Amino acid sequence: MLIDDPFDLPALDTALEGMPFAGNLHHFPTIHSTNTHGMQQAEMGAPHGSVYLADEQTAGRGRGAHEWSSPPGSGLYVSVLLRPQIAPADVLWISLAAGLAVQSAVRQLTSLEADLRWPNDLLFGRKKFCGILTELNAEVTRVRHLVIGIGINVHQAQFPPELRDIATSLHIETGRDWPRQELLAALLKSLDREVSALTLPQKAAEVQQEIMARLERGSSWISGKAVCVEEAERFCGITEGLDSRGFLLVRTPQGLRRVLSGGVREANGRS
Amino acid sequence: MNPEEIKELKELIEFLKDNNIGEFDLERGDLKVRLKFAQQQGAVDMPALSANLSHLLAASQAHQMTAAPAHSHVAPAATPSPAETAASEDAGLHIVKSPIVGTFYESPSPGTAAFVKAGDQIENGQVLCIVEAMKLMNEIEADVAGEVVRRLVQNGQPVEYGQPLFAVRPR
Repeated sequence: MLIDDPFDLPALDTALEGMPFAGNLHHFPTIHSTNTHGMQQAEMGAPHGSVYLADEQTAGRGRGAHEWSSPPGSGLYVSVLLRPQIAPADVLWISLAAGLAVQSAVRQLTSLEADLRWPNDLLFGRKKFCGILTELNAEVTRVRHLVIGIGINVHQAQFPPELRDIATSLHIETGRDWPRQELLAALLKSLDREVSALTLPQKAAEVQQEIMARLERGSSWISGKAVCVEEAERFCGITEGLDSRGFLLVRTPQGLRRVLSGGVREANGRS
Repeated sequence: MNPEEIKELKELIEFLKDNNIGEFDLERGDLKVRLKFAQQQGAVDMPALSANLSHLLAASQAHQMTAAPAHSHVAPAATPSPAETAASEDAGLHIVKSPIVGTFYESPSPGTAAFVKAGDQIENGQVLCIVEAMKLMNEIEADVAGEVVRRLVQNGQPVEYGQPLFAVRPR
């Protein structure tokens, strides 16, 4: 399982020239969590565009109490610190755009078309290969900083039995190993495009519409999917598109419900 | 009514007493709460408190609460009304508001202790709660030092942009 797939940071700096990430990449052989580290560095004044990547996370996190399995060298575990000029009310668009950025990067590298499960999980079929968790520090009127944590399964040839039915990797899907370096470069370029568009003055409404259109095209989950949602109370229904703020709508026997947080799963499915 | 909800109502009563508020009305759907305080020593006027008992019991069933006869004179914990928010601002309390739409969480992850509870002394910048939407977690920090007087929303409840989350007495 362990393959030699190192990062070449100077080459990445060159590939990312002109973007805020160039010269701001930090690599760790092992770390507790790239997101926790990123939030700490942000508090200490680290600049916009700082990138923290690790070969292994010993305490990688997902939503709620979920852990993210990050064995050494098997995946791309990266956190990106941003200080965008964007209103807190609009910052959720970055969470949606991050999923689109990964989808685009995977398409460029592998020609595979991944499915997006709202808000930003990436799947092949019913199996997940990428999770994104964003942490925000904001005042009511101003975003101080946010850290987007992205975990992508790249080299795993198999998963432990408890994950086998719900997890996959680029290796499993294609039968070959893809260099993390190229995946990271493509991802950061896509992310830069998305964030730059979202922070363009006077263009917000247009860019948000365009993100919704791409989500509807690039996801089998947005409309007509039978799902159950694990929020404070569990509810099930058929997805019915996005509202104007990008929240998923689900038609239930009790009426139309808006999904705030996630935890969207296929009804009767295991994924 | 469960212990958490009884505790919340007690906190609400304490909050109203502390601020010398004479009367408090809350209406939400078929739930009606009226609290009236005797003016000497701020003692709770129990007959007034129990005036809308029948409504409260109906509402408590809707909230899947087990009715405890010994406590049936108290109201189910409810989202604070705008009236309460206004009253707390009037009383010089600082209101911590949500910068995003999302789900309110009182603790870092399910099953762990709450970041803060009523009565805690907090520092400026201390994390009070998390509001989550679209897998974006926002740790809400105190923007003032003081005492947490009351949490204004329930754990797991959806909150809107700008919605009051905590009432803090600055020091």
